Amino acid sequence: MSKVVPKVFRINTGSCNGCDVEFVAAAFVDKFHIATSDVEFVDDVKDANLLVITGPLTARSESFLKNALTKLKKPFTVVGVGTCSVSCGIFRDSYAINGPLDKFVDVDVNVAGCPPRPESIAEGIAKGIKVLEQKLSGEVTPKTIDTIFSDFSAPASFRGRMDLNPDMCTGCRTCETVCPSTAIKIEENEEGFIHNIWHNSCCYCGNCAYFCPTGAIFSTNSFDTVKLQNEKFSDVNVANIPFEECSCCGEKYMPPSRGLLGKSYVHDDVNKLNTNICSKCRKEANFKRMYA
Amino acid sequence: MKIEEFNNAIKTKIAGGYLFREDKDNYGNLSAWITLQDKKDIETIAKTVKAYKGRCVVATGYKNEDKEGHTVIYHFDIDGTLINVELFTENETIVSITPILPSANWAERELREMYAVEPIGHPNKDRLFLDYSIAKGVLNEYISLSKMQLGVSDTDILWNNVKKECKV
Amino acid sequence: MTQKITIGPFSPELEESVYFKLEADEERTITHVEIINGFIHRGMESLVTKKNFMQNLILTERVCSLCSNNHPFTYALAVEKIAGIKVPMRAEALRVIADEVKRVASDLFNLSMLTHLAHNHELMRDTMNTREHMQDLKEIIWGNRMDMSANLLSGTKYDLDERKIKLILETLDIVEPKLRDLQERYETDEQLRKKTVGVGVLPKEDALEIGVTGPVARGSGINNDVRVKAPYSLYAYRPKLRPKVTLREEGDVHARAMARFGDILEAVRIIRDVVADMPEGDTYVEKRPHIPAGEAVVRTEAPRGELIYYLKTDGSQKPVRMRWKVPTFTNWEALKVMILGDKVDNVTMILNSIDPCISCTER
Ligand code: SF4
Ligand code: SF4
Ligand code: SF4
Repeated sequence: MSKVVPKVFRINTGSCNGCDVEFVAAAFVDKFHIATSDVEFVDDVKDANLLVITGPLTARSESFLKNALTKLKKPFTVVGVGTCSVSCGIFRDSYAINGPLDKFVDVDVNVAGCPPRPESIAEGIAKGIKVLEQKLSGEVTPKTIDTIFSDFSAPASFRGRMDLNPDMCTGCRTCETVCPSTAIKIEENEEGFIHNIWHNSCCYCGNCAYFCPTGAIFSTNSFDTVKLQNEKFSDVNVANIPFEECSCCGEKYMPPSRGLLGKSYVHDDVNKLNTNICSKCRKEANFKRMYA
Repeated sequence: MKIEEFNNAIKTKIAGGYLFREDKDNYGNLSAWITLQDKKDIETIAKTVKAYKGRCVVATGYKNEDKEGHTVIYHFDIDGTLINVELFTENETIVSITPILPSANWAERELREMYAVEPIGHPNKDRLFLDYSIAKGVLNEYISLSKMQLGVSDTDILWNNVKKECKV
Repeated sequence: MTQKITIGPFSPELEESVYFKLEADEERTITHVEIINGFIHRGMESLVTKKNFMQNLILTERVCSLCSNNHPFTYALAVEKIAGIKVPMRAEALRVIADEVKRVASDLFNLSMLTHLAHNHELMRDTMNTREHMQDLKEIIWGNRMDMSANLLSGTKYDLDERKIKLILETLDIVEPKLRDLQERYETDEQLRKKTVGVGVLPKEDALEIGVTGPVARGSGINNDVRVKAPYSLYAYRPKLRPKVTLREEGDVHARAMARFGDILEAVRIIRDVVADMPEGDTYVEKRPHIPAGEAVVRTEAPRGELIYYLKTDGSQKPVRMRWKVPTFTNWEALKVMILGDKVDNVTMILNSIDPCISCTER
């Protein structure tokens, strides 16, 4: 494999500047590894072979980005940094936004996060370098790349990738309502609800977890959000929240949070207390018990 | 400066008449709300603000829902006191106060491109933020006429891709 | 002979995209400035009317990541004014802590960029490394290095326990001596002074006329700090908390940098004062308060100066109109005064000296 000197140039296509500030941290603070490696930061886009692009691509940036791209010599690699570069994130569907980026340029590596930690940006650049090496040796589709900097860790409180505990979830859709960047979609079929979290649209704000009435959805401290482009649409957390069949009338219904019931009735046998009866039948049963 | 003092200063000069109201925020800071009957009187207000060494903080606009035309609210500051001045325009024009208070420069240019309300006498004609690929007055649409109304939003398109590629 | 020079829109010297078209004479003295904006315009004033009040807590935070706490904070103040909600004292204290922590980090980032552009790498690294302590603190307490997600309508989402307060104090103990050392070096470093003293001057009269705020105003001898002039939140209840601002008369790049050091050290003092005397009680009134029809204008002091929000509601789940004006919006016009007659090679440094937040400005 041929060795290359990575020459990095950053293009801001309308970011909130979070990603750009963290890029500077990644580039200049030693502990993030990039500052101490042989990455070169070039002054002119025409000298670059690794583009770091932030932002959701505003209308005014479009022609300037296209123009910059014509100046690059192939092969080069594109690393999209920040959720809004990957999917326009929180700015999606505004009149002033023409992104996401991959409408106009072949992106190689996506770094989701809002903003991603400098650790993730460094990892993104390092993976971009690997892709560049693969391209130079004639590879057309990039091969899977393992985590490069394995010595990074995050504090427990870091708001990272979201996860869901299906036992707790009742499909109430609060999370979907408060999510600012439509990263959550809840669908319904005969079997129950399907709860989807698309990590590349998530701005890691924790609003869903904060407002969720049952604590079903929560942030982990995982910052494993640096992915190759072919994983863009498949990096999704999918959970099935099945209906139950009423043992009385046979109707399908959504039981109250199974996980929460277990908490509030610790002394009772939850299963017995809640023996698969829909709320309508339970009301009727209670009514009969009291008045019959 | 006391709000009363400002009110006295404009009292005899505002030809078209105005409504005056004092407001207090949750922390006790006073501010004034003035509604002009005649939009042209904004020049008199601007001159008075200038005489008190105040500045134009910003201006807000919106299209009226119930009646024709636009509402424009100028926000001024005189040594820490906010003075909000509201006016109406039916024909998408206002008198620019930028020649009197340069601090109003960008605020008025934004009124032009976002609401197509023309500040007459403004020294600058160029677009400020809005790209020329987007028609001026973009915020006049209650629902953006762009992508959304064509039936599919970017959100729909992207989530469709998610559905296609995510096999569970 | 006049030469035409362009800078941007994409350049390593520009944190955010902006396009300068300059004309200069043989001495590279600038005779004409044209600045093209709009690269960061994302149509956010339209977006906020399409999202509900809970979503807007987060969207306002993405106006700008450097003053990201000030936006939801000020937005919340506007909602609370309309809904007539009185925020618990503890929440007021928590809001001020979050805000001042952000101020330290934001100002330090600007100073790092200054020394970077002045090619003073040692000072730049030391400034960045000092800032890293604040970044770590934010990540541990609020979960992200930039976007804290601290505010809630009617209070805060977060609280501080003994352990976290201890961490804040320990961090400040590490950071404060470093800050004083940096302040001294920025004041006296010959190389930096040569590059910044007398550069990009904004005379006081121009500053008043243009209506600049924040450290840009303070660097030209004007104090219009909202925390002092129209105090809000805990600054309203505790007069001793209000900052003793640093005013400089020179109006140059160096003076603005030193005014920021004044802000930073006062922020450290304010945080210490607040945590030393934390009010007890709840951190919010209601998770999802009802918001009636109304109209409000509120202000706060962001790291770059005055931030004002106008909000109009109609009793539904979404704002009818929301507009905000950030410090850079007016500070920007001062650039023309500063740049005209100065040297081409100073342009990006002068731009940086107003600590431009273009994402805030263009929305
Ligand atoms: S991904 Fe988030 S932090 Fe990064 S530029 Fe976009 S909105 Fe800002
Ligand atoms: S995760 Fe929580 S908020 Fe979302 S649907 Fe489930 S229970 Fe409701
Ligand atoms: S953290 Fe939750 S609410 Fe926030 S963007 Fe991600 S999924 Fe949506």
